[in-house]
Amino acid sequence: MGTILDLIASTIFGGMLLLILLNANDMALESQSIHYGDVLVQEILVSTIRLIEGEFRNMGFGVPERQTTVLWADTSRISFLCDLGRDGGTIDTINYWIGDTTELSATQNELDRYLYRSVNHQPPLKVGVVTEFKMKYETRSGEVLPTPVPADRRSEIHLVEVTVEVQNPYAISKKQAEINPGDRTAKYSIALWQQTRLASQNSRR
Amino acid sequence: MVGKASLIIVVGFGFILGYISLNLNRLATNAVGNMSSYVDATASHNIAVTGANVGLAKFYGDTTWFGTMTQTLNPPHKGSFTVGVTDLGGDVVRLRSVSTYVLPAPVNETLRDTVEVYFNKRRRNSFSMFAWMTQFEGNVFWITGDTVWGRMHSNGMLHVNGSPVFYQKVTTAKSFDPKPGVGLNKAIFKKGYETGVASINFPDDLSELISASASGGKKYNTDIWLTFNPGTGANGDGIALVRTSPSGPIIDTIYLNSSSFNGVIYTTGRARVKGVVDGRVTVAAPNVYIDDDIQYERNPQTTTSDDILGLVAAQNVYVTDNPANNNNCVINACIFTKSGSFTAENYNTRPVSGELQILGSIVQNTRGPVGTFSGSTIKSGFSKRYRYDDRLSDPNFRPPFYPGFYVKTYAITNWWESYRVPSIP
Repeated sequence: MGTILDLIASTIFGGMLLLILLNANDMALESQSIHYGDVLVQEILVSTIRLIEGEFRNMGFGVPERQTTVLWADTSRISFLCDLGRDGGTIDTINYWIGDTTELSATQNELDRYLYRSVNHQPPLKVGVVTEFKMKYETRSGEVLPTPVPADRRSEIHLVEVTVEVQNPYAISKKQAEINPGDRTAKYSIALWQQTRLASQNSRR
Repeated sequence: MVGKASLIIVVGFGFILGYISLNLNRLATNAVGNMSSYVDATASHNIAVTGANVGLAKFYGDTTWFGTMTQTLNPPHKGSFTVGVTDLGGDVVRLRSVSTYVLPAPVNETLRDTVEVYFNKRRRNSFSMFAWMTQFEGNVFWITGDTVWGRMHSNGMLHVNGSPVFYQKVTTAKSFDPKPGVGLNKAIFKKGYETGVASINFPDDLSELISASASGGKKYNTDIWLTFNPGTGANGDGIALVRTSPSGPIIDTIYLNSSSFNGVIYTTGRARVKGVVDGRVTVAAPNVYIDDDIQYERNPQTTTSDDILGLVAAQNVYVTDNPANNNNCVINACIFTKSGSFTAENYNTRPVSGELQILGSIVQNTRGPVGTFSGSTIKSGFSKRYRYDDRLSDPNFRPPFYPGFYVKTYAITNWWESYRVPSIP
């Protein structure tokens, strides 16, 4: 009788431990998924913003003082001049813009899109996957310029406010089949970066 | 037996859960690791920028300093920078600041960032680089409709009422009244502005020009009437006909492209000018009068032109009050008045004279009037249409022996900051 009671008790006890283990495993998987997502989006974000920040800071390097540095300025597209080679030679034209969301329709996240960069109108390179790439332009006196910035006002651009958001292309703990188009209830890791006063020293000459 | 088994099970589960917890912690740390590395990279970059600013302060304090120095930040800050200045030859000087930022253990990686600042060490500049410059602006306001196309500077206060447009950088040794963006000052600065810059001193006299006129140029001791003639349609065959009265005999013919003529005409009397200039020439006198249109043979706005005229007065340059000038006056020249103004003769009593169209540069001691207005209606004299001659932004292009000035500091021409791009996953 005592042996039977021991077996029943150990079964109950073992079952409880098993349930705890399974629950812990589920939690661990979700946490792992979230953290992996965070790592991924932050890697993408940091890679992207280091490039943007670096190149925007050097905007206008080597460009003659009387020449306008910014050739085109819109909320999600910019074209500017900079002597990338720093050799006093050809002034390079650098373009940044975002592609369409349909280019990444294979991912679960319907907001992600490529960020493109091209130099001297060569074939563009994909320098990141972002869900937001927005720019705002200010004059020296703090006036926010309308976008796209009219040609006769591009030389007034002194500050660029850049906002970049990156989301995980894949939802956390959800399979593709479980996500309906437009479903924003699915969890996506998000990392946001904003530089509110990105000014090139070359605009102060 | 069951008790021992339970103990083993609990301990085993403890290990398993502990391991899972450890992994989760590691992942959580990795998740912020990217941002942490971004912060470290930013810190390294900021140290390099700090070094550049420290170096700039030292270099501007002593522009003969071409050495290096290293500074370590005081705790709790960490890192150091080395900054140095190098003469790259020509007119270029480079200041380079390199940061050193060691990441804490166990990484122990050393980050280095670089900031380079380039200077133009040309100290002698021509006044013709300014589209507009004054020592004193007086109480004249820049108003809506005024447009300045080239560099502008004043050693005095700039008064603004409305939305004048300045296409190139505006500098003033004092400030704006009122400050930009405040009250009625809605000025549009296409290339920015800077206040409180060092004053730009006018020369004490015109001795350099006078000396040049006596050695290779032309010097007179009477009033002269100069009529510029472009010669044939060919380039570089212009002449200047010199008279001592408006319609008197020609006392001298100056071939502007002659190798024996250095380009300077000076008189101790009044110089009165008109005509079409084909060549490079500077006319200097105590007072210069523009009697009629004076233009270049080749218009630099529409074609390649090497024609350039300087009108330099120890006192004033006048647009003469005469019939020829009472229906517009076109002037292609760089105008400099050392102690007076560029003004229209009898500006407040002469008839309404149309437009004063200037292509060149105007530098004057005191801003002079060219007409009077009531609101936006002209009452006498000229309305202004001033345009900068873009060729003058090249510091090597100026009228012969045109007055220049020395800058106290080197001008920053370019600023470059290094950046690192990690591999994209």
